[in-house]
Amino acid sequence: MTAAFAALAFLMTGLATAQTLRRAALWRLGAAAPVDWVSGLAKLPKRYLVDVHHVVARDPYASRMHAIVAGGLLAATMLAGFAILPPLAGSRFYWSVVALAFAMTLAGSLLVGARRYPKTPKRLSKGGFQRLPFLLLAYAAGGTAAALSIALSGPENPVLLVALLVAAGGGLGLAYEVKDGPMRHAVAGALHLIAHPRQKRFEQGRPDAALLPLDLDAPKLGAELPADFTWNRLLGFDACVQCGRCETACPAFAAGQPLNPKRLIQDLVGALAPDGPTYQGSPYPNARPVAGEAGPLFKVIGPDAKIHPDTLWSCTTCRACVEECPMMIEHVDAIISLRRHQTLELSAPPQKSFETLANLREADEPGARPLTARGDFAAGIELPVISKRGEADVLLWLGDGAYDMRYGRTLRALIKLFHEAGVDFAVLGEEERDTGDLARRLGDEATYQGLAKANIETLQKYRFNRIVTSDPHALHALRNEYRAFGGDFEVVHHTAFLLELIDAGKLPTGKLDAGTVTYHDPCYLGRYNGETEAPRKVLDRIGLSRVEMARHGRRSMCCGGGGGAPIADIPGDARIPDLRMAQAAETGAEMVAVACPTCTAMLEGVTGRTAEIRDVAELVLMAVETGRADEPRRAAA
Amino acid sequence: MRIAVLLSAGRHPVSGKPTLPRTEAQAIRMAAGLGAATGLHVGPDAFPAEAALGHGLDYAAHIACAAGSDPVGPLAARIVSDAPDIVLAGRRGQGGDETGLVPYAVAARLGVPIVPDAVAMRPATDGLVEIDQALPKGVLRRLVVRTPVVVTVHPAAPPPLPFAFGKARRGSIERIAAAPTDLAAGAPPPEERPYRKRPKMMRAAGGSAADRLKAVTGEATAGGAKVLDHQTPEDAAKEVLAFLRRVGVLAPASAAGPGRRPAASEDASRHATS
Ligand code: SF4
Ligand code: SF4
Repeated sequence: MTAAFAALAFLMTGLATAQTLRRAALWRLGAAAPVDWVSGLAKLPKRYLVDVHHVVARDPYASRMHAIVAGGLLAATMLAGFAILPPLAGSRFYWSVVALAFAMTLAGSLLVGARRYPKTPKRLSKGGFQRLPFLLLAYAAGGTAAALSIALSGPENPVLLVALLVAAGGGLGLAYEVKDGPMRHAVAGALHLIAHPRQKRFEQGRPDAALLPLDLDAPKLGAELPADFTWNRLLGFDACVQCGRCETACPAFAAGQPLNPKRLIQDLVGALAPDGPTYQGSPYPNARPVAGEAGPLFKVIGPDAKIHPDTLWSCTTCRACVEECPMMIEHVDAIISLRRHQTLELSAPPQKSFETLANLREADEPGARPLTARGDFAAGIELPVISKRGEADVLLWLGDGAYDMRYGRTLRALIKLFHEAGVDFAVLGEEERDTGDLARRLGDEATYQGLAKANIETLQKYRFNRIVTSDPHALHALRNEYRAFGGDFEVVHHTAFLLELIDAGKLPTGKLDAGTVTYHDPCYLGRYNGETEAPRKVLDRIGLSRVEMARHGRRSMCCGGGGGAPIADIPGDARIPDLRMAQAAETGAEMVAVACPTCTAMLEGVTGRTAEIRDVAELVLMAVETGRADEPRRAAA
Repeated sequence: MRIAVLLSAGRHPVSGKPTLPRTEAQAIRMAAGLGAATGLHVGPDAFPAEAALGHGLDYAAHIACAAGSDPVGPLAARIVSDAPDIVLAGRRGQGGDETGLVPYAVAARLGVPIVPDAVAMRPATDGLVEIDQALPKGVLRRLVVRTPVVVTVHPAAPPPLPFAFGKARRGSIERIAAAPTDLAAGAPPPEERPYRKRPKMMRAAGGSAADRLKAVTGEATAGGAKVLDHQTPEDAAKEVLAFLRRVGVLAPASAAGPGRRPAASEDASRHATS
């Protein structure tokens, strides 16, 4: 009878493997991708224990639950398998250890059940996941009873057969679920950690968030069919455990726009394997109906396909979903691949972006404003142009915020501070083109690459040590995304640069007495570049009392301005910046400090807001001016 | 229905970069709704043809000729040999070698009618096409025209589809060498004249705000338009004169002195319409 117990463990492993192979046949439909299996496998334990755990631990209940149930399941099944060794099979001590492992699984199963019953939280999907606790319970309870009965009364006892049958029901059920059910996440998740398309994201240092360049000579541009994704991306979609963390974090979902990253990933899974179980989680809010066939070789996007284009264009590329995903799925990469096909092959970016894309292509500027006018905001302040000097210590990249009246104030403040601190700086003047970030996010990789190459060529003409910019989108492009095209520049965000100046004593700042302030992290600075500390330190140095919003730092919420989303302008129930300002209002802060032209425009555009919007540079200038005003008074005293 | 879209070498009004004029990109979108469309460009550079592929054409012919040579001859020759039902073209020149008067010259050379400022087109029954033509102040006029016809596209037509790199890559351009034709041999040379101030249209001020607005914006077109069909030349001339008197370009009939010759009023009318 003990052999039957061991056999169950082997049977389960065999069934799970068979189910994985059946699923793998689908992954193999994807495009080729080089994978270093040996190094990936060697790094798997660290990736699981450190990187995955880091994300999972944000939900302590889920983290505890998962550690107990997954650890128990693996340990119990492995231990039970050892029962084929006769000395062990006869040892009562061995069986009590097996019973202990099963008991641990049992405790975990109860935690899994308690999370879903009596009431399943909104962000969790139902369907097969509602069955999962019962399968776990059957396997764990049966296993515990069987092992315990052997430990207590030997291999021939009346309980054993019944207990083993219950365990077999649960255990084989779990193994069967590896192909289409909840248990797929375990196998696909582990394989995904090994064969992840972004191996660098597991290394320490800056996040690996640069979009991968598209080969413009490829036979097909972007992803049209599920089979156009590389196989390890298809594997990644299959790893989704439908935990809904991405859904909770997604600003577009919160605003009632027709996007839900969880559903999107599940739709991609469903597009690849249309005969799988139907999705039973939250929908795309306010989605327009779609009707169309699905399959590995059917198109994914369109009113007559699986996913409506509205869903695709609602995304702000804020990466909140990627940041929250315990399965390390790269939603933004998938969205951009799909967008690239729409724009580059089908002329089908969002209608409202036609003009912007044409301007970027034909005038190197999203608003078709003359490049010579970029410096106009600085009228009256000295703005040195590098072509007149050939070199400078710091090259100031102005970005398209320079054309905006409101943001011009921020840039003026920054330039005044540069003069105050005696920074040796210059701008490109009319040689500065748009970085192409917007074109790239809207899927127009061709225009982006043209702009990137032109900008790199311009930048390489001049000698400078660093680029400073106040625009995190430009920062990300110049620092991370131009690298693939031969542009290797040291780029500093203005908040980090100001901190340097203050700490070096070059900017004598007084203490501001401006009430409490809360800092809104720009996605492209915080999540894309991991820079969350410098701006906060600057605010502290100038004496502001700082409060944090519930969502801040790497887990901050988007202002709604990225990824071309404001241009696509997909309707929802609310506006993302309104939601964000409501969150700011909850802190009671009188001022929201920002560090990005897009955030400034989005947040300042909120009607009925109570808090002021000030860029960090503006606040520092205020502090410098207060300091100057205090100087004579202090001298007199 | 077969459509040829004339493509010209425009320049972006702000950046000055070579650009396919917007109305021609709109023409491509319009053509796609009518039937099989091909592009046709005569000039030294192929970029208008390349851009047109990105905006949706599958095929464009580029007739290479030296800069400054007259495009009308090669265009007309090609159109005659291809015999499309409709020739679509841009409207006016805004920069670079943009289309300008070429569609008119081509129509004249081919001896087919030209309909300017189309915003929409639908094929009607045999050999006819229905055109919605934009008139000033948002007025539309529906025309039914017999093909072949040359049609220019108005900026109010549906916006052009964005340039798609993949489409530009897929489409094909046929390069054809053309015998250079001297510009002077074709159209008459452009004439330069010193700038002269346009005569101001004086109208009686006063009245309600609506009247004054009308006086400034000109009520003469659109709503007040009078369509006269099949008039004798004399009657038509009388109508034109009466109109010019009404809008104040010519002095009222009674005030016209006996010594003034009709030539003077012809001159004035040219200013009013040029
Ligand atoms: S994509 Fe990631 S975060 Fe979203 S539901 Fe799936 S596993 Fe959870
Ligand atoms: S990137 Fe941001 S907006 Fe896009 S799906 Fe993810 S969370 Fe939503």
